[in-house]
Amino acid sequence: MTLNNIMKPNSIALIGASRKVQSVGYGILKNLLTGCVFNTKYCKPYNGKVYAVNPNAKKVLGQKCYNSILDIKKKVDVAIIAIPAKFIPDTMKEIAKAGTKGVIIVSAGFGEEGEKGKKLQKEILRIAKKNKIRFVGPNCLGILRTSNNMNASFAPTMPPKGNIAFISQSGALADSVIDWAIESRYGFSTIISYGNKADLDAEDYLEWLANDKETKVITMYIEGVKDGKKFLRIAKKVCKKKPVIALKAGRGKAGTKAISSHTGSLAGSYKIYEAAFKQAGIIQADNVEELFDLGKALAEQPPLKKNSVAIVTNGGGCGVLTADYLEEFGVELAKLKKSTIKKLEDTGKMHPAYSARNPLDIVGDALPERYNVAVDTLISEPYIGGLIVLQTLQTMTDSVADAKVVVNAHNRYPNKPIICVYMGGKFSKVGMDYLEDHNIPDYNDPRKAARTMWALARIGRIL
Amino acid sequence: MLIEEKEAEKILKRYKIPICISKICNSKKDVFSCKIEFPIVLKALSPKIIHKTDSGAVIVGIKNKTELRMAFEKFKKFGEINYLIQKQEEGKEIIIGMKRDAQFGPVILFGLGGVFVEVFKDVSFRIAPLSKKDIYEMINEIKAIKILKGFRGEKSVNLDKVSDILSKLSVLSLKEKHISEIDFNPVIVNETRAVVVDARLIKD
Repeated sequence: MTLNNIMKPNSIALIGASRKVQSVGYGILKNLLTGCVFNTKYCKPYNGKVYAVNPNAKKVLGQKCYNSILDIKKKVDVAIIAIPAKFIPDTMKEIAKAGTKGVIIVSAGFGEEGEKGKKLQKEILRIAKKNKIRFVGPNCLGILRTSNNMNASFAPTMPPKGNIAFISQSGALADSVIDWAIESRYGFSTIISYGNKADLDAEDYLEWLANDKETKVITMYIEGVKDGKKFLRIAKKVCKKKPVIALKAGRGKAGTKAISSHTGSLAGSYKIYEAAFKQAGIIQADNVEELFDLGKALAEQPPLKKNSVAIVTNGGGCGVLTADYLEEFGVELAKLKKSTIKKLEDTGKMHPAYSARNPLDIVGDALPERYNVAVDTLISEPYIGGLIVLQTLQTMTDSVADAKVVVNAHNRYPNKPIICVYMGGKFSKVGMDYLEDHNIPDYNDPRKAARTMWALARIGRIL
Repeated sequence: MLIEEKEAEKILKRYKIPICISKICNSKKDVFSCKIEFPIVLKALSPKIIHKTDSGAVIVGIKNKTELRMAFEKFKKFGEINYLIQKQEEGKEIIIGMKRDAQFGPVILFGLGGVFVEVFKDVSFRIAPLSKKDIYEMINEIKAIKILKGFRGEKSVNLDKVSDILSKLSVLSLKEKHISEIDFNPVIVNETRAVVVDARLIKD
């Protein structure tokens, strides 16, 4: 099943384009024509054809208005609907007549809103099925695709371009994520807010994104699915192709039964989704921040293929913290061989008080040269699968040069993950930025680095 | 609705799930003449008794006829009942169960019995059908797995037999679609075998 006409359309009709500046129908049109309502350097006009449909206006934002989609008489790949719910069944029939097979229904007033709404939702589903139309929503924010500058939504603006997709059951969350992404320079390929999922559900988007070459990692915020078996079946296939990370909201309905078993009372909805994620190979994030930390790291770094990680640090305490967290997550610390220690010492660059074990504490006065010896020696060892490199700032610390050491090591051994914890703020920033710009995940907290290494171990199928 | 004992036993036998040697008798006389060797477990069966242990309807470790008579005294309070006699099994208690979820279908549960499930909720779940990998993971995921594998010099229980029951329960749940919940509590496991000692099957 292809969603290409919804995700990569060449032509879009907006039904409900409006002259009222604060309306959804105005916002979406502005987004399509310019990329954003809130302007940034990431905003560009959609690179396909846009048609505005509004029988009550001649022009909106300079676009000629058609009375109905049937008057357009040219191919329309996807129709976006932003009119009151009660008119939508008739509009769907027109869309069917026009031959358009993809629809994004932004309007609310359906299954989320009582008996009348549920009936309307059933009706539009019936019309869609009859005419082989697939639709997103209803009651959703819409879809954003950075590769064709498509902001087919009423999100305030476009995020930077990147290779991470975000599928969200909450439109509001997607909006905040977009705003945050601009501040954090976090790039997305796709953002989908899928609303009531009357037709297309999470697994449909997962399936499409699995084959999308713009997307390297898929992140999701999910509350519930309609067909768990279908979701599990498709998710298993998708996870074999690219990493999927999910944040699950713990919403479960408590069912009371007169006779209830132990199993019945223990197997709450959240636990069942946890099981489904494990079986599918989906990595579960604890919170929003972790969802996107992991998203980026898994897009930038290779999987951990050996459960044997080394820590290099110029601060003993941070090294110990990192080791604690790795152990908590089941990631094993490599035991340094005598031959490795000898290699380190033969360079003459190690401090006499260095730890000579893993975590490798190269002491607070470490200069880039010592970092280079430590990082290079450890990453080149076949028995070590990956590195976590920590840096704390002392008077002699050269943050950028230390960052270059890591980047060079990663270029020489692109199949081993390296994660950094360059701890600090103002004066370490230049080093942190260098790491950022060269796709090395860098955190201010050892726990996040350890968690990321755990996720890379999951992707490497060793945990 | 609880599926009654005889029917439940038939279903379990059909799927070759190992159950404890037992007999249902409807009189004290039949109990006395039953050939199951001591030690035995005696349970009171009645549609009024839903949670047997909570109601005092289970007496374990009956070693001889004198103790059996004492057990009958204790059961007088239940009035008209049938009796389930079981061979007493030795080993550790685990719990295995199934709940049919509206979205995902049969969900299988595993854990150690008693306080481990009731207080610590140290259990694992997987959705049927269970692969070998699923079964391996769900068994090893619980914190109390070290107890089953033996600590302080003890030998491990037979985890292959445990896996076997999980696998067969998975098959049963996918085929018997009218059954909505199952509790095997306890399953007694030791070095050599795993046996379901009490089973509750609930149908829609």
